[in-house]
Amino acid sequence: MALTIFLIMIVLLLAGFPMMIPLIAAAFVGFFTLFGGFGQLETMIQQMLAGIRPASLIAVPMFIFAADIMTRGSSAGRLIDMVMAFVGHVRGGLAVSTAAACTMFGAVSGSTQATVVAVGTPLRPRMLKAGYKDSFVLALIVNSSDIAFLIPPSIGMIIYGVVSGTSIAELFIAGIGPGLLILVIFSIYAVIYATRHNVPTEPKASWGERAQAVQQALWPLGFPAIIVGGIYGGVFSPTEAAAACVLYALLLELVIFRSMGLKEVYATAKSTGLITAVVFILVGAGAAFSWVISFAQIPQQVLASVGISEMGQIGVLFVISIAFFIGCMFVDPIVVILVLVPIFAPVVDSVGLDPVLVGTIITLQVAIGSATPPFGCDIFTAIAVFKRPYIEVVRGTPPFIIMLLGVSVALIFFPQIALFLRDLAFR
Amino acid sequence: MSEIPASATPAESNLPGVLGIVDTAIARIEAVMLAAGVLLMAANTVANVVGRFVLQSSIYFSEELNSILIVLITFAGISYAARHGRHIRMSAIFDQLPTPARRTMMVLIAVVTAIFMFGLCWYAAGYIITQAGRGRLLPALQIPVWWMYVWVPVGFFMTGMQYALTAVKNLTDKDIWLSTIVLEGYEEDSDPL
Repeated sequence: MALTIFLIMIVLLLAGFPMMIPLIAAAFVGFFTLFGGFGQLETMIQQMLAGIRPASLIAVPMFIFAADIMTRGSSAGRLIDMVMAFVGHVRGGLAVSTAAACTMFGAVSGSTQATVVAVGTPLRPRMLKAGYKDSFVLALIVNSSDIAFLIPPSIGMIIYGVVSGTSIAELFIAGIGPGLLILVIFSIYAVIYATRHNVPTEPKASWGERAQAVQQALWPLGFPAIIVGGIYGGVFSPTEAAAACVLYALLLELVIFRSMGLKEVYATAKSTGLITAVVFILVGAGAAFSWVISFAQIPQQVLASVGISEMGQIGVLFVISIAFFIGCMFVDPIVVILVLVPIFAPVVDSVGLDPVLVGTIITLQVAIGSATPPFGCDIFTAIAVFKRPYIEVVRGTPPFIIMLLGVSVALIFFPQIALFLRDLAFR
Repeated sequence: MSEIPASATPAESNLPGVLGIVDTAIARIEAVMLAAGVLLMAANTVANVVGRFVLQSSIYFSEELNSILIVLITFAGISYAARHGRHIRMSAIFDQLPTPARRTMMVLIAVVTAIFMFGLCWYAAGYIITQAGRGRLLPALQIPVWWMYVWVPVGFFMTGMQYALTAVKNLTDKDIWLSTIVLEGYEEDSDPL
């Protein structure tokens, strides 16, 4: 049964079906074979609905809504300008700014693809004008967006947290360390690249200009304060922090900056609703799928067949990393999390791994996989947004992927990169 | 998940006659349900947080209201997303196929998806009837549990209709259509989520 289910999923996925269908079909086959007919399909509906109802999932539409308001308004642009004013002038400064802006934007948004659009659209033309090669620029933007997935809020972490029953607040805090580490490594690479290719530096912003940029960004800087400060300080749950962000975003864009009217708020709500529906039908189908494979004990069979129980903690983390990385090279991260997390759940439990560490590693891997050829979904976002051919978007990626895989290995051997802040906050 | 704006204009159906009017009306209703659902959810969640911090009391039905809204958004949204060709799919291999093969595949995808949607509609309706028979109430709001699920079969049915119409459109039109109103290869095709 396991083999049939996975074959059906892979064939339907690669054939270009809407991604809910492979999940629904796999769950359907599971229910059909397990219960010998159509008798239990109402249970499948019940599981789908149970999958979308957890209160903590409400954080997903709320964070999407807040980030959407900020991107359409002026907050996101102000944050990016502030980063530019401080690091724009060093060698490779524009590239460093791009990575830093992704980090900054990641503190507001939970999605890699939104980051590619929000940061790439204003910064790519400036980098091209400054003399960077397009292949480098595209690869930098696509890969730096990984940082946004790790810096809280993160849609992937919310869904992992709900599926695996792990604290979303702890996951959020644990993502900060690896996110900042990637920023540092990318910045060093950017400086080396700019030096080797002799990219001219930008004029240095005066302290007056900097002060002005900070002043402009002062209000939007409240977002990271609400999310990280609120969760770290134990004031907010992630869902409450998301609601506070929505309120704050509306306050900024409607009242203080007046960059938006009620009509735009309505349009933003509609677009948020659409994105939410597309994600949540997957979450629902994923829940039904995960219920049936757990019921049939498929995870145990699959894991036993690769002999995972003899591998020890490090071995298990490597297997998990590789599985999620490869999965996201082909399929959307949310689908990969929904399908693979329940499969690995028993072994994570049995070898005594910290589920927060596993969640951080998984989030990093799905982010890297989404930026990796052949089919990483961020690559297609970049193709659509920047209107460049596939090969050009992909050409510059190898050095970035090598750096990111380095971080992955480091995270497995030095889990404190992720867990240090978490332990500080929660232990 | 991208925060790329959806097309702001309401979908104009290109079905003929009365069907077209009905289809356009449904599209408008779905759009209003999506936006109103998100705005209500935001208002509810925000009010709950403000209530807890300022007035030291939370809204006792807040979680149940959000459950109702997320079901509404999801099932109004899957049909709206189908109409606009916005469901996530891995089209990289599909895109490499020659035109006749793509048309055949698109018809197959639309037909199979429609069958699944109608099937789920059937079992969702059965599930609601079972629930209604049990007569359970939501603990805080004291309304029957099955009320919050009425959108589920409706949403599946509407989505099934969208895919069925897409199949018909691809069989009758010279172009390849991703949905009833979106041409394949059109910008929204590659629009990621």
